[in-house]
Amino acid sequence: MKRRILSTASVLAVGALALTSCAGAAGTADDGGAEGRTPLTVSVWNYEGTPEFAALFDAYEAANPDIDIQPVDILADNYAEKVTTMLAGGDDTDVLTMKNVIDYSRFANRGQLEDISDVVADLPGDELAGLDAFELDGAYYAAPYRQDFWLLYYNKDLFDAAGVDYPEDMTWEEYEQVAEKIAAETDADGTYQHVWRSLVHSTAAAQSGGDLIGGDYGFLKDRYETALNLQDAGASLAWSTATSQQTGYGSMFETEKAAMVPMGTWYIAALLKAQNDGVADFDWGLAAMPQLESGGEVTTFGSPTSFAVNGNAAHSQEAREFIAWAAGEEGAAAIAEIGVVPALRTDAITEAYFGIDGMPGDDGSAAAFSPDVSALEMPVSELSSDVDQILTEEHQLIMSGEKSVDAGIADMEKRVKNEVLD
Amino acid sequence: MNTSSIEAGPLAAAAAEPAARPAAGGGRPAGNRRQARRNTLIGWSFILPNFLGFLAFTLIPVIAAFGLAFMHWNSFSTPRWVGLENFRTMFASETFWIALRNTVVYTIGHVPLTLALALGLALLVNRKLKGIGLFRVAIFFPYITSLVAVAVVWNMLFNPESGPINQFLMWIGISDPPGWTSSTTWAMPAVIITSVWRDMGYYMVLYLAGLQAIPRELYEAAEVDGASAWQRFWNVTLPGLRPTTFFVVVMLTVASFKVFDLIVVMTEGGPGRSTTVLSQLIYREGILQGEFGYSSAISLVLFLLVLGVTVVQFRIQQRRER
Repeated sequence: MKRRILSTASVLAVGALALTSCAGAAGTADDGGAEGRTPLTVSVWNYEGTPEFAALFDAYEAANPDIDIQPVDILADNYAEKVTTMLAGGDDTDVLTMKNVIDYSRFANRGQLEDISDVVADLPGDELAGLDAFELDGAYYAAPYRQDFWLLYYNKDLFDAAGVDYPEDMTWEEYEQVAEKIAAETDADGTYQHVWRSLVHSTAAAQSGGDLIGGDYGFLKDRYETALNLQDAGASLAWSTATSQQTGYGSMFETEKAAMVPMGTWYIAALLKAQNDGVADFDWGLAAMPQLESGGEVTTFGSPTSFAVNGNAAHSQEAREFIAWAAGEEGAAAIAEIGVVPALRTDAITEAYFGIDGMPGDDGSAAAFSPDVSALEMPVSELSSDVDQILTEEHQLIMSGEKSVDAGIADMEKRVKNEVLD
Repeated sequence: MNTSSIEAGPLAAAAAEPAARPAAGGGRPAGNRRQARRNTLIGWSFILPNFLGFLAFTLIPVIAAFGLAFMHWNSFSTPRWVGLENFRTMFASETFWIALRNTVVYTIGHVPLTLALALGLALLVNRKLKGIGLFRVAIFFPYITSLVAVAVVWNMLFNPESGPINQFLMWIGISDPPGWTSSTTWAMPAVIITSVWRDMGYYMVLYLAGLQAIPRELYEAAEVDGASAWQRFWNVTLPGLRPTTFFVVVMLTVASFKVFDLIVVMTEGGPGRSTTVLSQLIYREGILQGEFGYSSAISLVLFLLVLGVTVVQFRIQQRRER
């Protein structure tokens, strides 16, 4: 008797296990929205630590009471891989956030995204920074709501202490001189050049018109020399040290170890927070990235973040409406309020942005916020990620002094041509 | 049949009615068969949950990978048969050969060092001493520490300018200490040192168990015969540890060929490609680039490599035993 109970129980247990494992896969999409509202699922990364999502979703729900936005939170580091896996499994999350344009082109080229050219046609295209990057053979599969670009953060107190004028319209040579002067006059480093290759590569490509997936990399030479001169002169932390200590650019600036930091606009929100928390207690300002020549156009680089509609979306129409809203005036206002740079650039938005408590009030900072050209960090192509891997490896060797600039550039050219382009 | 009755064994005991079994089965072959079938089913029900998981997440993917190695697949399109193209690409790729060489170099550095240190430590702590448990725990500790923490801390120790290791080297008079993780020459030794430090405690425990299984009488007899400590180690301890050593060598080799996590956290395969290993290449090509066919081909090569080395080790062990 007992045995029968036991055997029945064990068979039941196995059945239950099998059932729950199936249910787990199908569970998410069918949860109805709260109180009869239409649920709209949106894939996001690090929801807690990326306040722009909550700001957008709250504002949208307030404006559209019949929609219930349900974020699908994904680890930031593995975001692209997780979304790929979800899509390969036929996931029906409505809106997919595209973290960068390389991921975007992959998803779009594989036919995973809905064509939303009609949505984009109704947007104010001229004022929407970074929109061009999303055109694939005349069609758009995503619309940008956020556009970060690089500029120069500087510590006014350290500039004052060294007796150096605040930076404005600097050339790379002036940047080097200023950094060396501050390093000599104060305890701080003149600047902090973060370890990413984009600081060298993407500025060089944007300002000298080079092509990062073209296979010819002579245009990188000058910027490598800037970076190496700075670290040889002791005006910036050595690349090897920064890598092995996993130095954070934020801590270098906030603890006043470096007087300047070239970095993306995403850092503004974090810097404001550090200021509010009392971690960063000094006056700071924004300047344009150093240029090849003074007085010309200000050219920098950046990358847009966008929303796309999943080809499998359960609520395609609602998803399109949300995307149009997020890329428009109201969406831009919602994220500008918390210090995130929207893709939509109007005077009203910039004014709102600099109206945030703690933002520098000088004219130079506001001017730095409107570069003439913001090129893409990396061209959109199927080859981008393969090339990226090679350029990153060779960048490490040049910056750590294992290879000369010329040898490193020659190896980049050889490897990209042999391993990717042919 | 055999396995099912073994699987049903604990159940029969748990039922606590052993006396009822012969009575129920006696003289009724049909009932007996039903009983046996039920036992089989019950047995299956015990291994099924685990086996289903193994099937879904290990066996099927492994078999699929063998097939995918000959296909082109980006996880969206239907896989397309390309024959040996993935292998041709791989053998023509400089990065593959570098990763293969790095994997072998890591294994050659990691296995003997870990083995020697684990054995040395086991001998050291295999004695009756007050508080010896504390020492054993201290040596085992790195193994249960979070790998990311280990990698980050060792990265700090290896810091070329301000790290304690180079500070010490400079203090003892080495004016130009290595650049460790920022140097292509020294990054691999740095990774090996860290992994040896982390793994030696685990293998020490295995050796400790092996040491305690060697009969005391052998040592006593050797001592009576006038054997020195060295002779006792060489002629009693080492032969007694042979099964343990074999097991440790096989496990260590397999683990070394599969190394991934420590390298990803410490150097990400850099600087350049100086610490890129095969597992990393498999991850990069498959999960990051979406070239699942190509990455399956690399994993097939890694599999054959590990299989080959393990078979050789088993052969050597068999010959020794004969």
